[in-house]
Amino acid sequence: MSTLLEVRNLKTHFHTRDGVVKAVDGVNFSLEAGQTLAVVGESGSGKSVTALSIMRLIPESTGVIGADSDILFKGESILSMDDVSMRSIRGDRIAMIFQDPMTSLNPVYRVGRQVGESLVLHKGLKKKEADERAVELLDMVGIPHARERARDYPHQFSGGMRQRAMIAMALACDPDILIADEPTTALDVTIQAQILELMIALQERTGTAIIMITHDLGVVADMANDVMVMYAGKQVEYGTAEDVFYRPLHPYTWGLLESLPRHDVSDKGVLVPITGQPPSLINVPDGCAFHPRCPYAKEICHTTVPSLESIEDGHSSACLFSQDPSFRRDEVSPSGEVA
Amino acid sequence: MLKYLIRRVLQMIPVFLGVTMLLFVLRAPGVLPGDPVRMITGERAISDTLRAQIVEEYGLDRSLPEQYAIYLGNLMKGDLGQSFQKSRPVVDILADKFPNTVRLALAAIVIEIIMGITAGIISAVKQYSLADVLTTLSTSILVAIPVFWLGMMLQLLFGILLKRWTGGAFYLPISGMESYQFPAWAHMILPAITLASVSTAYVARIMRSQMLEALGQDYIRTAEAKGLSRRAVIWRHAMKNAMIPVVTFIGIDLGVMMAGAILTETIFNWPGVGLEIFHAIGQRDWPVLMGGVIFIVFAVMIVNLLVDLSYAVLDPRIRYGGAAE
Ligand SMILES: Nc1ncnc2c1ncn2[C@@H]1O[C@H](COP(=O)(O)OP(=O)(O)OP(=O)(O)O)[C@@H](O)[C@H]1O
Ligand code: SF4
Ligand SMILES: [Mg+2]
Repeated sequence: MSTLLEVRNLKTHFHTRDGVVKAVDGVNFSLEAGQTLAVVGESGSGKSVTALSIMRLIPESTGVIGADSDILFKGESILSMDDVSMRSIRGDRIAMIFQDPMTSLNPVYRVGRQVGESLVLHKGLKKKEADERAVELLDMVGIPHARERARDYPHQFSGGMRQRAMIAMALACDPDILIADEPTTALDVTIQAQILELMIALQERTGTAIIMITHDLGVVADMANDVMVMYAGKQVEYGTAEDVFYRPLHPYTWGLLESLPRHDVSDKGVLVPITGQPPSLINVPDGCAFHPRCPYAKEICHTTVPSLESIEDGHSSACLFSQDPSFRRDEVSPSGEVA
Repeated sequence: MLKYLIRRVLQMIPVFLGVTMLLFVLRAPGVLPGDPVRMITGERAISDTLRAQIVEEYGLDRSLPEQYAIYLGNLMKGDLGQSFQKSRPVVDILADKFPNTVRLALAAIVIEIIMGITAGIISAVKQYSLADVLTTLSTSILVAIPVFWLGMMLQLLFGILLKRWTGGAFYLPISGMESYQFPAWAHMILPAITLASVSTAYVARIMRSQMLEALGQDYIRTAEAKGLSRRAVIWRHAMKNAMIPVVTFIGIDLGVMMAGAILTETIFNWPGVGLEIFHAIGQRDWPVLMGGVIFIVFAVMIVNLLVDLSYAVLDPRIRYGGAAE
């Protein structure tokens, strides 16, 4: 396995009228070819900004990426690339799909044309050839009568079909990395499962590495190799899916797992949401950012910033107490999720 | 599609009836001052025989509903009656003037499209730049200036002052559409600018806001994520979406201009339908006034229908007659 992507100390801050939003504040991870990394966390934890930083699609007017941050794609720094080189990677080697398929397609162009557009751009195909290839791609993502449907406009597609079309579009150039930013959140539950299955099947076929962003741990249990848990712009836990699901270290991860609907338990009422709200990223609490909501918070948590420490091999946590072997909550893992 | 077309054409009928009826009611004795016979004969005294003859000839002795029925009947045959003043068929008069109105309207639309759209795009793409600020400022001023005042200022500046400053060497015509000093197109410059002014400002504003809105849409991010250049994103993905409302506005505006820009045509003495109507009002020349208004209503409705149909080409979400989303 070779390392495709390496994110080093990524800090993406937005300078807004109200102050500096530390949307991503020191994130490190790497992605191997063909692997799936899940990025989980509540709304506003910096997942999308992390993804957009990798795509270099952060608005230049307000967004600033730290000088000591770096993102290496196949060993080459994305952040120091000129725009032309970056554009040749974007959509070709690293592709991205977005949360809301209803609005992510351009309403005035035919779906097939949009799916084939990156082939014209990156692979130098003629429009006709790209249209032809788009039909194959739409067929590949399970759109029935792909040839006719390619001539449809987005409004003629259902939500699930649009997300399939988005996936076809993203995979058109056979990218090394597919970043999927909550690809199923806007869809209803049965369609969610279908889209996930499709992504798993396509990954087996194409070997594309996937960064799967979600706020729902259950969604990624089936497909992730590694899981990164984010809170307030920082990584709080990182490890294999096994580790994070069955031996979670961080109190925030415990909270996430407890708030997960458990498919094995018949009384579905026992959801325990994490109390309180995620903090403002302009005024992040001192010490551990999670302390106002953490049931285990001690005095020291108000003042000392925990750093991400490796606790076991390849499994790290940013909690001051994670080193303590008795500070564990094994029973929280949802059963029947991880194979 | 055909169904839609038929429905739209049928919808024109009540509008037509409404407009013509309103004008007829205004003609009822006592509603507005003026004796139609006097309008035709002028101020000089006439004999009762002549008066009776005129009343007979123009059907003025019938009841109003009767006159209306006759008028509509003639309208169906394409006959708008005789002008009181000119003793010419109204249809002929309008047919003479209409091309001039169209000519002026098209010139104004060209200005509107080129200036308005360009300014709108620049100020959206370079938001808060100097160009953007200037556009916002000048469009605000243009919208606020009364058209007749702008027209007269242009006449003063380019027609009179410029002539004085250059010692008569260079200036622009300010009246009519023909003269031995100037080519025909030169006569069109000032009235076209005047006629286009307010609409150009609106087009610039609509274009700017639509472009900004389009650029903030999710599909723009999708296009960027494909690796398209900023230029391709703007021209290919934002532009077509942003253009839809702009084209609508311009189309409707063309209809309005076809209607004869009464103010502009009057200020510049431009011999179009608008000026003709203006004169007809002053002279209580009812047949011309009515014919002119009917003609305008018809022209506006036709243009609006064409604009609506062109939507379907621009915006695939709109499909007429069938099940649309
Ligand atoms: N362009 C921007 N300007 C200012 N702040 C921004 C910008 N983009 C994102 N943010 C802020 O950065 C923070 C992280 O946002 P991000 O979109 O990464 O969250 P997320 O984890 O993806 O949440 P969600 O699950 O809601 O998508 C948020 O507080 C957001 O308001
Ligand atoms: S450091 Fe303290 S507040 Fe933060 S997660 Fe650990 S126990 Fe909770
Ligand atoms: Mg997000």
